[in-house]
Amino acid sequence: MTGPSRSPILDVGSRAVFHTVLVVAVYLLCSGHNAPGGGFIAGLVAGAAFVLLDAANDFDPAARRGRLPPEVLLGAGLAVAAATGLTSLAAGATFLESDFVSLSLPGFGTVKATTALVFDVGVFLLVLGMVLAVVDRLGEEPE
Amino acid sequence: MIPALIAWHALVASAAPVLARRLGRRVFLWCALAPAVTLGWIVAVAPKVRAGDPATASIRWVPALGLELGFRMDGFGLLMAGVVAGIGLLVFAYARSYFAGHEHPKLGALGAHLVGFAGAMFGLVTADNVFALFVFWELTAVFSFLLIGFEDTKGSARGAAREALLITSLGGLALLAGLVLLTQAAGRASLAEILASPPRGGTVTAALVLVVVGAATKSAQVPFHSWLPAAMEAPTPVSAYLHSATMVKAGVYLVARFAPAYGATGVWRPLVIGIGLATMLVGGYRALRQHDLKLLLAFGTISQLGFLFVVFGAGTPTATKAGTAVLLAHALFKAALFLVTGIIDHQAHTRDIRRLDGIGRHHRLLAATGIAAAASMAGIPLSFGFVAKELALETWIDGPFAGPGNAAVLAGVVVASMLTVAYSARFVWGAFAAKGAFPGARAVGADMPAPSLAFLAPAALPAAAGVLFGLVPGRIGSLVVDAAAALGSVAAKGPAGAGLELWHGFTPALGLSALVLTGGGVLVAARRRVERLQTDAPSPVGAATGYQRSLEWLNLVADRTTAVLQNGSLPTYVAVVTITVVVVPGAVLVRHLQVPDGLVAAESWVQLAVVGLLAVAVGALVRIHRRFAAVLLVGAVGFLVAGLFVLQGGADLALTLVLIETLGIVIFVLVLRHLPERFRAPVGRGVVAARAAVAVAGGVFVTGFLLTAGAARTAAPVGEALIDQALPLGGGRNVVNVILTDFRALDTLGEISVLLVAALGIGALVTAGRGRSREEQR
Amino acid sequence: MSLALAVAAGILVSGGLYLVLQRTLTRVVLGFGLLSHGANLVLLAAGGRAGAVPLVDGRRGMADPLVQAMILTAIVITFGITAFLLALAYRSWQLTRDDQVEDDREDRRIARLATRRGRR
Repeated sequence: MTGPSRSPILDVGSRAVFHTVLVVAVYLLCSGHNAPGGGFIAGLVAGAAFVLLDAANDFDPAARRGRLPPEVLLGAGLAVAAATGLTSLAAGATFLESDFVSLSLPGFGTVKATTALVFDVGVFLLVLGMVLAVVDRLGEEPE
Repeated sequence: MIPALIAWHALVASAAPVLARRLGRRVFLWCALAPAVTLGWIVAVAPKVRAGDPATASIRWVPALGLELGFRMDGFGLLMAGVVAGIGLLVFAYARSYFAGHEHPKLGALGAHLVGFAGAMFGLVTADNVFALFVFWELTAVFSFLLIGFEDTKGSARGAAREALLITSLGGLALLAGLVLLTQAAGRASLAEILASPPRGGTVTAALVLVVVGAATKSAQVPFHSWLPAAMEAPTPVSAYLHSATMVKAGVYLVARFAPAYGATGVWRPLVIGIGLATMLVGGYRALRQHDLKLLLAFGTISQLGFLFVVFGAGTPTATKAGTAVLLAHALFKAALFLVTGIIDHQAHTRDIRRLDGIGRHHRLLAATGIAAAASMAGIPLSFGFVAKELALETWIDGPFAGPGNAAVLAGVVVASMLTVAYSARFVWGAFAAKGAFPGARAVGADMPAPSLAFLAPAALPAAAGVLFGLVPGRIGSLVVDAAAALGSVAAKGPAGAGLELWHGFTPALGLSALVLTGGGVLVAARRRVERLQTDAPSPVGAATGYQRSLEWLNLVADRTTAVLQNGSLPTYVAVVTITVVVVPGAVLVRHLQVPDGLVAAESWVQLAVVGLLAVAVGALVRIHRRFAAVLLVGAVGFLVAGLFVLQGGADLALTLVLIETLGIVIFVLVLRHLPERFRAPVGRGVVAARAAVAVAGGVFVTGFLLTAGAARTAAPVGEALIDQALPLGGGRNVVNVILTDFRALDTLGEISVLLVAALGIGALVTAGRGRSREEQR
Repeated sequence: MSLALAVAAGILVSGGLYLVLQRTLTRVVLGFGLLSHGANLVLLAAGGRAGAVPLVDGRRGMADPLVQAMILTAIVITFGITAFLLALAYRSWQLTRDDQVEDDREDRRIARLATRRGRR
C-alpha cells in the first residue's frame, strides 16, 4: 500500500455509492424505532461509507481535508444523547424518560415523533465518530 | 441534632489547618469549640435523657437497602459522650500550653485530627445503627493512626502508628463480621432493638466471639495489647485523650452494651472475663517494670481496661453499675496522670524515673495533682476510685459464677489490684520523690521551671473531680445509676439502683479493700526486691515480639504468593484466572449439573450445520500462523455467528455484527500491514498441551454453566412484558431499538461513553511519542 | 434451549481462551474477539428458543428482545475495545518492532526478591 496505486474502478465506484449509502444510513436511523435499524446500525453503515471513500483514496490524510474531525462527532454525539436525558429531567420526568407525539402530516400520513429518536441521533453521531476516529488514526502511515 | 454536631466537628476540623497558619498553637482554642458546643448540648438534654427518653436522630442513607444512619443517645451514651467532650475540652486547653516552645508546622493538622477523632468518637457512642457504629469505630482507628504517627519523620512513630492500625483494623474486620451475623440473626440493624430482644443460637455465639475479638483489639486486651505501649510515641495530649480516656474505651463500651443481654449465655462470661483477668495481671506486672512514666501509665491503662472487661463482662445489675463507676473514675484519674506526665516531660525534658529527682518538693501543686489522681487509681479511701472499686469487689463477692469460679475471679482481681496499688505508688515515687538520680544518670527536677496555671489547670481539674466525687458521691452517683440503668439490666428502683456511697459499713468488700491496700503496701515496701525479681525472671515471649513475628511471616507469605501468582508472564495470569473460574465455581457446578426443560439438540438442521462450520473455523484459527489468514478466519467466524443470530430471530443483531465484522477486517488489515507476515514460531509441545487443556476446560465450563443456569430459571422472562409495552410506552415497533433508546437508555448512554473513551484512547496511543520524536530530530 | 448453541458458545470460549493464552498480541486480540462471540452466544441461548424477529405486528412467538438488546450493546463495545487493543499492539510494534508480550521485568524482580528473602 505504498505510492499512488489507486484503482480507478474503486475510485469511481466509491464516489457513486457514497451518497447512496449515506441516505440508506439516514433511513435506517429514522426507521429504527419500528423496523430493523437504529443509531448503532446507521452509524456503522455511514462509517462504512466513509471508509470506502478513504480506501479509494488509499487512506491519504490529504483527501480528508475539510471533513469534520471525528472528535467533534464523538463529543456532539454524547452531548446530544445526554441532553435528551436532561431535557426529560427538566420536563419533570425521570432521566432519559421518553415521550412521543403523533403528528399527521399531509402526504406522509401519521408520523410519530419520539424523543428516543433524538437520543438515537446522538448514538448515531458517536458511533460514526468512533469508526472515523479509529480508521483515520490506524490508517495513517507511521512516521 | 447529633448529626449536626458531628458535622460541626468536621467543620471545625477542616478549618483548623488553615487557621493554624494565623493562630499558631492558639488554634487549639478554636478546636476546643467543637467539644465545647457538644458539651453544652449534652448538658442541655441531660435531664430528658436521664429520665429515660433518649435523644434520637436518623438520616436516610440507602432506603432501598434499609440502611439508615440511626443515632440514639441514652443515659450510658450520655455519660460516654460527656467524657469524650469533657476530656476533649481539657486536652485542647492543655495542648495550647504543651506545644509552647516548639511551634510544629503540623500543629494545624494535629488539631484537625484531634477534632476529627472527637467527632468520630461522639458518633461511635451515640450511633444506634450497628453499621454506622462500625464506620465511626473505623474512623477512630484512622485518626488514631494519624495522631500516633504525628512525628512522621521518626521511624518508631511510623511503626507504632502502623502497628496500632493493623491490630485494631484486624479487630475491626472481626467486629464487622460479628455485626453482620448478628443483624442477620436479628433481622434488624438497630443496636437498641437487637439488645432489647437478643437473638440466640449458634450463629449468634459465633457473632459474639467476633464482637469480643473486635472489642479486645480496640481496648488493648491480651494478646492484642502490644499496640498501646507503642502508641505512646504520640504527643502526650493525644495519649491522654485517645489512649487512656476515650478511644480505648470503645471496646469496653461494646462489652458494656452487650453484657446485660448476653452475660448469661454460655461463651460470654468465660471469654470476656478470662481475657480481662489475663489483661489485668499482665498490664499490672509489666507496669511495675517501667522506667518511662508514660509507659508505666500505658501498662496501667491496659490493666485497668482488663479490669473493666472483668466488671462489665459479668452483666449483672451490680456489675453494670460498678463498671460505669470504674469507667468514669478511670477517665478522670488517667487523663490527669497523663497530663501531669506531659507537664513534667515538657518542663524537665525527660520523663525517665531514673533521672527525675525532687520535683514534689519544689512543685507542690503539680505533686498534689499527681498524688490525688494516683490515689484514685490505687483505690485509696476517700477517692472516687475507692468508691468504684468497692462496688466492683461487691459484684464478685455475690457474683454470677457459682462456687470456685467466683473465688478464682475474685482472687485474680485482688492480686491485680495489689499490683495497681504498687504501680500507682511507683508513679508517685518515680515522678515526685527526692530519691537522687540513678547511677549513671543526670538528675533533673529541682531546677525545673514551674508550669503556668493554664498548663496545670486541665490536669488539676479531673484530679480534683476524683477527690470530690469520692467525698460526696451522691450527685455523680445518680448519674452513674442512670447510665447503668440505660444498659438495661439495672432496675432503677431495685437495690442496685441505690446511689453511690463512700461508706458502706463493715462489708466483705471493705475487708478485701484492706487486703488489697496491705498487699500493695508490702509490694511498695519491698520494691527493690520485687524489681530484682522481675529483672531476673525470664521474660516470656511478649506481645510486641509476637506482633513482629507475625508481621514478618505475613510479608514472607505475601512475597511467596506474589512470586507464584504474579511471575510476570501474561499467559500465566490468564491461566490462573481461568483455572480459578473452572475449579471454584466448577466444583459446585459438577455436583449440580442440570439440563433445562425443553432442551433440543438444535433448532434446525441449518443451525447444526452453521455450528459445525463454526467449529471448523475456530479449529483452523487456533492453529494457523499466517496473520492475514487468521484475520480472514476471524471474519468468517463473525459471519457464522451472525448467521446464528438470524436463525434465532435477531435481525438487528445480525445486521450490526455483519457491519462490525466488515469494518473490523478493514481495521485489522490497517494495523497488521505493518507487522510480520507470520506469528512467532510455536513454543514446546508441553506448553501447547497445557494451554489447550486450560482452554478446553474453560469452554466445557461455559457450556455446562449455560445449561445449568437455563434449568435454574424461576421467574418468567421480562422479554414478554417488554414486547407488550414497546408500542404503548415506547411508541415503537422494533422492541430491541425501544429497549436500547428508551427502556434501558441509561445503559446505552454508558456504553457510548465507553466508546468515546476508547476512540480517544486509540488516538492517544497512535499519536503517542510523535511530538517527542520530532523534538529529537530537532 | 438449543444444545447446539450451548456447544457453539463453549467452542468459541475454548478457542478464544487458547488464543488469549498466547504471547503474540495479535493472537490475543483475535482470541478476545472469539471470547466475546462466545459470551454473546451465552446470552442468546439464555434467552430461550428461537422465535420471530421482535417487531410488534400482532404476531406471537417472538424471540426474547432483552437479550438481543444486551448483545447489540456488547457487540459495539467489543468493537471499540478490539480497536483499542489493536492500537495497543500497534504501539507495542512501534516501540519494540514486535508484538510479543515479554515477561514483566518488575514482577520478575519481585519474584526473585521473595525467594531470596525466604532463604534468609
